[in-house]
This record gives sequence, C-alpha cells and structure tokens, in this order.
Amino acid sequence: MHVVRREEYDAVVVGSGIAGGWAAKELTEKGLRTLVIERGRNVEHGKDYITEHKPAWQLPLRNERLSVGTKGAEQYPIQARTGQFHEAVKHFFINDRKHPYVEDKPFTWIQGEQVGGKSLIWGRQVYRWSDLDFEANLRDGHGLDWPIRYADVAPWYSYVERFIGVSGERLGLPQLPDGEFQPPMEMNAGEKFAKAGIERAFPDRRVTIGRVAILTESLNGRLACHYCGPCERGCSTGTYFSSQSSTLPAARATGRLTIVPNSIVHSLIYDAERNRVTGVRVVDTTTHATREYYGRLMFVCASTLNTTRVLLNSKSSRFPDGLANSSGVLGHYLMDHHFQAGANGVIEGLLDRYYQGNRPNGIYIPRFRNLGDETSRRGDYVRGFGYQGGASRPGWGRGGGERGFGVELKRRLRDPGGWRIGITGFGECLPRPDNYVELSDQTDEFGIPLLRVHCTWSDNELAMRKDMAASAAEMLEAAGCKEVKTYDSYHGGDGLGAEPGLAIHEMGTARMGRDPKTSVLNGYDQAHDVPNLFVTDGACMASSACQNPSITYMALTARACDYAVAELKRGKQ
Amino acid sequence: MESNAQITRREALSRVAILLGGAISAPTLAGVLDAATRRAWATAQGWTPRTLNASQTELVAVIAEHIIPETDTPGARAAGVHRFVDTLLADHYPAAERDRFLDGLRGVDTRSRSRHGKPFVECVAEQRVALLTEMDEETYPPRGSDTATPAGDETWFFRRMKELTLVGYYTSEMGATRELHISPFGPYHGDIPYRSVGRSWA
Repeated sequence: MHVVRREEYDAVVVGSGIAGGWAAKELTEKGLRTLVIERGRNVEHGKDYITEHKPAWQLPLRNERLSVGTKGAEQYPIQARTGQFHEAVKHFFINDRKHPYVEDKPFTWIQGEQVGGKSLIWGRQVYRWSDLDFEANLRDGHGLDWPIRYADVAPWYSYVERFIGVSGERLGLPQLPDGEFQPPMEMNAGEKFAKAGIERAFPDRRVTIGRVAILTESLNGRLACHYCGPCERGCSTGTYFSSQSSTLPAARATGRLTIVPNSIVHSLIYDAERNRVTGVRVVDTTTHATREYYGRLMFVCASTLNTTRVLLNSKSSRFPDGLANSSGVLGHYLMDHHFQAGANGVIEGLLDRYYQGNRPNGIYIPRFRNLGDETSRRGDYVRGFGYQGGASRPGWGRGGGERGFGVELKRRLRDPGGWRIGITGFGECLPRPDNYVELSDQTDEFGIPLLRVHCTWSDNELAMRKDMAASAAEMLEAAGCKEVKTYDSYHGGDGLGAEPGLAIHEMGTARMGRDPKTSVLNGYDQAHDVPNLFVTDGACMASSACQNPSITYMALTARACDYAVAELKRGKQ
Repeated sequence: MESNAQITRREALSRVAILLGGAISAPTLAGVLDAATRRAWATAQGWTPRTLNASQTELVAVIAEHIIPETDTPGARAAGVHRFVDTLLADHYPAAERDRFLDGLRGVDTRSRSRHGKPFVECVAEQRVALLTEMDEETYPPRGSDTATPAGDETWFFRRMKELTLVGYYTSEMGATRELHISPFGPYHGDIPYRSVGRSWA
C-alpha cells in the first residue's frame, strides 16, 4: 500500500540532533513553518529520561557496561563497541540489527535513534576552531582549502555559545580561541598538581578545565549543574545542551515547528526543471508505509553518514551518482578523530585532599604541535592533537585488582585510593579520498541501500599517535607523577581498538569548497548544484582539526540558516 | 526533580527492605547455621535464582561474605550479592563466560574436597579462609609488587568473583549508603580536605 500525504512547509529539516535542532530553531525563529523529520522514536524532555537519578541498585545489572557479546548487547553489536554503552543509556542508542551497514575494515558507527539524536548522549566538550584549522588544508596540501575562515564563523560561535551555555576558562591562545564563557568548573587537587608541574616544565603548554556545554549558572530557565554525574541519561533540569533541552523548545515556542518521529528518509525528491529539491520520501519505521513531505528549503542534518546516505540514494537522470554530486566527491574524505593513545600515572601524596560532586568534565591540554612556528614543528607528521583527561582517587573498584579480602579489604576500601591521573590524545585525521562510503547492493527493511564504509588510519595518524603517547608520558613525568605508563589502544589490522569511528566524531563525505568541480557544498553549506539544499552536520567538513566538532556544526548551521532565509526573502530560492 | 529523586530513594529503601526481609542479621549467623539451613535461606524470601542452583547460590553467598563480611555495616550476603551474581549470569554474560564462572565454582569445591574432604560451605571458617587466601595469593601478586597476574581459569574465576562481590556490594543500597556515602547533589567542590568527607564516595 503506497500512501502519499502531501503537506507543504517552508522548510524541511532531516534529523533532530545537534545540527537539526539548531536548524529547526533558527528557521522557525526567522518565521518559517518548519518540519523536522526524525527516524527515531519520540522522546519527551524530562519524562522519558527513565534512568535519570536512578541509583545503581535500581538497575538490575547495576549499570554494567554492555560489551560485545553480552546478552544486553544482542541487538547492538556495533553500539556495544563504545565504552559509553551501558545499561542505563541503552535506550538512546540505535538498534544495529534494524539499521545495519557494511564495514570494509572496522569502522564503528555509533548512532542515536530518537528525537534529539546523539545530542542526548554527546560528550558536551566544545572547542572553537581557529585559522590554524581552517587554513590547514591550504598550508600542507592535504584535502581542499576551506572556503571560510575563522572570521566568518567567530560571530556564530559567540551566537551559539550564548544560547547553549558554555563553561570554561579563557586562555588567550590563538590556536584555541576563547568564547563566551560561564565560570569554569573547578579542578581537583590532582589536576591542579599536574597543571602546575606541566606548565612549569613546558611554558608553551596549558592545562585547563574542559570547556563544556554544561551550565555553571542558570540560563533561560535551564538550571546550573547539580553534579549528579551521568548527563547521558538525560537531564530534566536542562543543564547540559541538547536539542531536547534547548533548541527544540525554542523552535516549538514559535508555533511554527512540526516534528514527525519514526520516519526514516528514503531519498530527496528532485525537480530537474526547476533544479530544486521539492521534498522528501520517508518510510514509517513502524508501519513501513511511505509518505512524502514538501518544502521550499531543505536542510539535511541526519548525522554525517546518514546525510550522505540520503544524498547518495537520491538518484535522478541529472544526478545518477547521488543528489548534488556532479563533483563525484560525495561520500569521500571521511574522517574521525583518532584517540585512546596517551599515558597515565600516579600522583603521590595529597591524601588529605578530596572532592565532592560528580563533575561531568575533565581537563584539557590544547594543541601544542605544528602551530606554524619552528619550535612546535614536527618532522614526522602534520597537524596536531589535544589531550583530554582527569585525575581522581579511585574508589572501591580498585579492590578487584589487588590482593586481600575480608575485614581488611573492606576497611581499606572505605577510604579512597591514592591519586591517579590519565590523559588521552584526540588527534586530527587527514582528509583522504580513499576513506569513503558508498551504497551497497543490500537494502535494509525500509528498502534503503546499506552504506558500505571504507576507512583506515593513514601513516600520518599513526606517527601522530606515537607522539600522543610519548608526549603524554613526558608531561606526566615532568610534573612529578610516578609509575607513568603509555598506552595505545590501536593495534592495527582488522581488530577492534581505537578503530575509525570510535571517537564518534565522524565527519566529511560532503565537503565544503569553493569549486563545484571538487566539492559538494559552498561556504554557506549550500549545495553547489542545488541552491535550496543545505547540509550543515558533520558531512560538510573539509578537515577534522583535533577539537571536538559539535560546536562548529552548530555555528555553521546557524550561519547557513541566516544565509538561506536571506536568500529566500530575496527570492533566490 | 529533587522531590522525585527522594521519592525514588524512599521507594527503593522500602523495596530493598522487603526483598531482604530479616536477612540483615543473617550473615552473622552464616558461620553457625548448618548448610541445609543456609541453602534454604538462600532460596527463601520469594526469590529464586535463575542460573545458580541452591548449593551454587549458597557457595556464592558464602564466598562473597568472606570477601566483604559484616562488620559495623552489613556484608555481601545482606546486600544480596549472590542475587546480583545470579542476575548477571542469567541476563548479562555470554554462555561461555557463564559456564566458565560455573566451572570456577565447581573448582572451589574440588579444591576444598582435596584439602578437607568436603565441599567449601561445609568447611569451618578457618578452612574456608585458608582456601580463599590460597586462591587470592595465586591470583594477585603481593601488593606493591610489579608482577603480572598469572593467567588461568582459577585465577580468572577468583578475580571475577572478587570483582562481582565488590560491584554487587558497593552498588547496593547498603553498600553505597551505609558503608560508603553517595555524593550529594549540589555544588561541586573540587579540592576539599578529605577529613570533611571522611570516606570514599560510592
């Protein structure tokens, strides 16, 4: 049965995550009647955070990690690869059996499946890019020069930060520009110790508290953090930024927002005569019925790889290889950050110091390699990395790794252990044509071809990882830490461990550029080929930098909406 | 939100109390009750294990209580560690891991029989402690030494048993709120004197 419902909107947004939520807010606030299409189920802010503040003893598995092979992961063999997949957050991850894909080599694709998307479970770390990043491709010749520079995005970073609320410390570093910050969270004694030691030994390096989209002061009805800890279960006080807490309510308040959940986009409808996208074909994920929706503006924000999958599957005689793909680069230049290489160690003493509250944040060490000067230049790789980490006093869990039991063990575990510290690098990944996705011959239960992913780390990433581990150890040792050990979870070959995708920063595949022959999107995230088509999620990225990318998606989305609506009002859409 | 959380905690408290019934005082009796009584206790209170049989349940409860005994606060048995272990075996572990754990339990009795001619739970407390000490020393290098843990099914089992006991105990309401403290909701204090807290956060 083929049911077609014709509904007309000013704008259609595919996806309700970080980017889609921002598109919905901006477009509705600018007066457009906007439809948001979400493949996942509806989630109601607050009410559907079913594990929020639930003590461990109310969870049958006590919030055990559901790793690959465990019974709770039977429907989630891919999602179970990330350490973030636990009993208490399982319901915010996608069912892999229902939404399969094909891996050429291990590529871990972590996805959300609900209104709000991954914005409910994201890491919340937000760092501006700088011109070191926007000029990187131009400078070393990898990838294609960005059509924009920091000055183009800076006001939009500010615009986004003022709305989402970012706590952090101003550092005045050119490679990591400051933003509109709320007061920073406090470091603990171990982190203060490491900061003092590292900054003393390396005057060019800084240790700062993470910049996070978590409020330390109330903002627009959202409350300052109460430090319960596991943000990813959902936060009914709206303390961390998510589509659910922030952008979708703002869009809803305009009276111009419609959200259709349980609807997976099959493809976009293209009118060759007018050279415009006119609508979307969706499949109802519950009934498998098909529907169509129409709009004058189309924002595809379905998450990097799903966005590209939709475009690749939108074929016409004008675009036989996928919509807006006259360049042929659609699907190529896939990137992710490579991480889980670093070091950890012991901080002696400070046993009279402790902390109170579960701070959902750690420390950050901004990039200090290849900054454009001779001293920071590396001969063995280009680009750079930053570190995330933290110090803590281990609790009872340490007892499982130590000899002893009985009254003595119980007494010992009543006190926290000595201080430990760990830092892991997040490294930039070069944009390369041979990291790409394509449509396979198989289809899913909705009749949509599965994505086939080809992605591996290059020699540049592998050389950088050696430095990520070595420099981490060098800094911890210089700070006076003991028992310092390096680690690198990537072991090469076809095994799992720091494999591409695991950082959940997948980006690229519909890159921006100045030339329609070599890029899919222009500097406003607008398809070169089809003027009313915009892609503002991670797919648009022309390089990866080493900073967590979400705030850049938000800034680019707001900027693209501003441009698109201005064009629309000038009659150019 | 705050009031909801409090209601939830209150509900939880009453539920745990109902589940455990008079069990809070049971661990002190564990050493003096005969095995049959203890087996009966393990399957009483309206709870039936789904993977462990009665004697395996009792074996888990007895080992767990030796690892985290009742002191001035309840121990592992009162906190229901054996129930948690059964839940994990039934609802969490892949079959191979479950079987390996069950083999490990059998191994404890094999060892006990070879030393003392009877299953572990029927040994006197000193014999049980000696057996567990033996396994603990085989599993873990001396504290402070750099030696790696020896591999093998028995060391795997004992380590896993100890880890599960700790998880089951310290994430139980008793372990988290009576033995340790739960960090209260409110402002974050990053650097405070330890004496102002006095024990590890759960």
